Amino acid sequence: MSSSSSAAISNGTIHRTKILFLGMRRSGKTSMLQVLFDDLPVKQTFYLEPTMRVAKHFIDTVIPLEIWDCPGNVTVDTLGASLADFSTIVFVIDIRDLYQHPVSKLVEFIVATCQINPDIHFEVFVHKAERLQEDDKIENFRQIHERVMDRLVDESPEFEQFPLNFHLTSIYDHSLREAFSRVLHKLIDSLPYLEELLNVFCSNTASPKAFLFDTSSKIHVATDTSPVDQATHNLCCDYLSMLNSFGPLYKSNSNDPRTSRVSPTPAPTPPPTATTSTPTSSTTPAGTPPLSSSSSPVPPSKPHFYPSAATSLSPSRPGTTLTYHLVTPHLALLALLPTTVYDMRRGLVEWNVVWFREGVREIWESGLRGVLES
Amino acid sequence: MKKKVLLMGASGSGKTSMRSMIFSNNPASLTSRLGATIDVEQNHVRFLGDLILNLWDCGGQDAFMDSYLSTQRSIIFSHVGVMIYVFDVESREMEKDLEYYRDCLEGLSQFSKDANVFLLVHKIDLVRDTERNAVVQRKTAELEKASGETPVKVFGTSIYDESLYKAWSNIVNTLIPNARNLSKHLRIFAEACSATEVILFERTTFLVIATSSRTDSSDAFPSGPVVLHALDPKRYERTSELIKAFKQSCSRLREEFRSLEMELAEFTAVLDEMTKNTYVLVVVHDPVIETAAIKMNICMARKKFEELQGDSLILEK
Repeated sequence: MSSSSSAAISNGTIHRTKILFLGMRRSGKTSMLQVLFDDLPVKQTFYLEPTMRVAKHFIDTVIPLEIWDCPGNVTVDTLGASLADFSTIVFVIDIRDLYQHPVSKLVEFIVATCQINPDIHFEVFVHKAERLQEDDKIENFRQIHERVMDRLVDESPEFEQFPLNFHLTSIYDHSLREAFSRVLHKLIDSLPYLEELLNVFCSNTASPKAFLFDTSSKIHVATDTSPVDQATHNLCCDYLSMLNSFGPLYKSNSNDPRTSRVSPTPAPTPPPTATTSTPTSSTTPAGTPPLSSSSSPVPPSKPHFYPSAATSLSPSRPGTTLTYHLVTPHLALLALLPTTVYDMRRGLVEWNVVWFREGVREIWESGLRGVLES
Repeated sequence: MKKKVLLMGASGSGKTSMRSMIFSNNPASLTSRLGATIDVEQNHVRFLGDLILNLWDCGGQDAFMDSYLSTQRSIIFSHVGVMIYVFDVESREMEKDLEYYRDCLEGLSQFSKDANVFLLVHKIDLVRDTERNAVVQRKTAELEKASGETPVKVFGTSIYDESLYKAWSNIVNTLIPNARNLSKHLRIFAEACSATEVILFERTTFLVIATSSRTDSSDAFPSGPVVLHALDPKRYERTSELIKAFKQSCSRLREEFRSLEMELAEFTAVLDEMTKNTYVLVVVHDPVIETAAIKMNICMARKKFEELQGDSLILEK
């Protein structure tokens, strides 16, 4: 996801879905968000300074997002915005914490929010799960869950059925991404359409599992309706990391025009006739084919190029191939295919990918138009 | 063909962890479970099929060190091809470390005059990024001085990044008899594929054996199309690290990594098996070339490379 936490980007015209991140000091909010959206290497989170004021992350994925990273001592009044503006509130609790403070704070926010807007989604991330052994992890998780629900019911009996989701997370593995995926799924209106596209793709290509991933944060925005196996999800995240890291290693820094490739155009902001260069293109300096910034409706001289990759696993007969196809500048299709299908029916697979891509682009573009008009 | 590799250094400096990562394919996270090595642990590691590395992981506790330098002296220091001495960058007993090192160097020159010596300044991840280069340079000067007449090569390493692969690729390169010949053939192959670069990796460790751009096995100036494209100088060890990590991810799913092909915006590449002990990575910058063509070329070159490997090792005996 392309993100920026500076206010220099004028986002006044686009309506962004807002997510609020709350939690005690040192619970891990800033680390999480920077690892997910700013490509911060996990080991560098050790050196992060405490967050003193609200930092906003503007993220563009299948829908435009605005994520607020708040300092630990923020309260309903010092927030700087009405709670009604947010679609989701994520509360982060350090799994080793003594629970009184975070639980009271969480309950305070829940009560305040319900008075203003009862439709807001509430999620709790029980974080830093890597610090405990398996049994302690589960025990603490259960205890926190229980304490929160007890306190809520104490506040008022109508909170008994309150839909509060708990997730066990850590920045050291992919549990954080999985949790964030689930949060994101509730915010994407077009999710059923994306899922259906994936289902069709899977049944046509005999694929047991396919995901639509956001390439830079490695959060999956949609998957087909077969059950998600955590190990498969982790492998796909690792595969994406590897592909992302390979790009810069062998990138050519020469001025040879032959090495340039046209990449898919980004969000179609007006005027629709401009063809612009995108972040995924290789370094194409001046003097290369006239595609880089013409505003006249000249069709590009090369067809659109979409990066793809495939890795084959297991030399045994029913092998699996893990494929990657870039679908929009931020989203990629990752699918597991039987190797026999990939090798012998490659053309049909690619054909299905083309249709899948068309479908996703239509959904994404119509979503953007809706957002621009509001 | 057997080559003896001595792995020495103070207790807790990281010798066994290193060995476990490179040769046993264990991820860095599991090394915390390793205990202190008692006396010498000998491992025979098959490398490139016919080459056997006889790895002597020598426990670093004082009692053992004293015994190596006295009663076990000739056993330890005879017939050594390479000695790798590991220094913990955060060691609080540098004087003692250096003293033991000098003694070992003496033992080595007594029994294996022709052995190559590599010094690793390990756990370099504990040093802040911005100071790393300065620290490595300072240590290099210190160690070269302590080594007297003996030519040594110093590397800063860590099991948490690619630096370990760089050091070990260099070390292993001195043990492969015909790296230069392999490079020459890789260059011919690269030209046939219109590739910018072709790199040969050992299958299990994924250490770099030879590339089409180096003119000899040490860090010589690259030549040919690589200069034109000005590729990242750290790409070799980064590739080793990335693929190794991905192989480990695959094995968690009980799958085995086999091959990879990529058509990215920046380049096209194929990573596939070359011979039964090696993998080849072919990197192409011409967008016209399809991965299928590269794969076909690899297929056709296989026999030649099997031959090359077989012949060279026999000749050296």
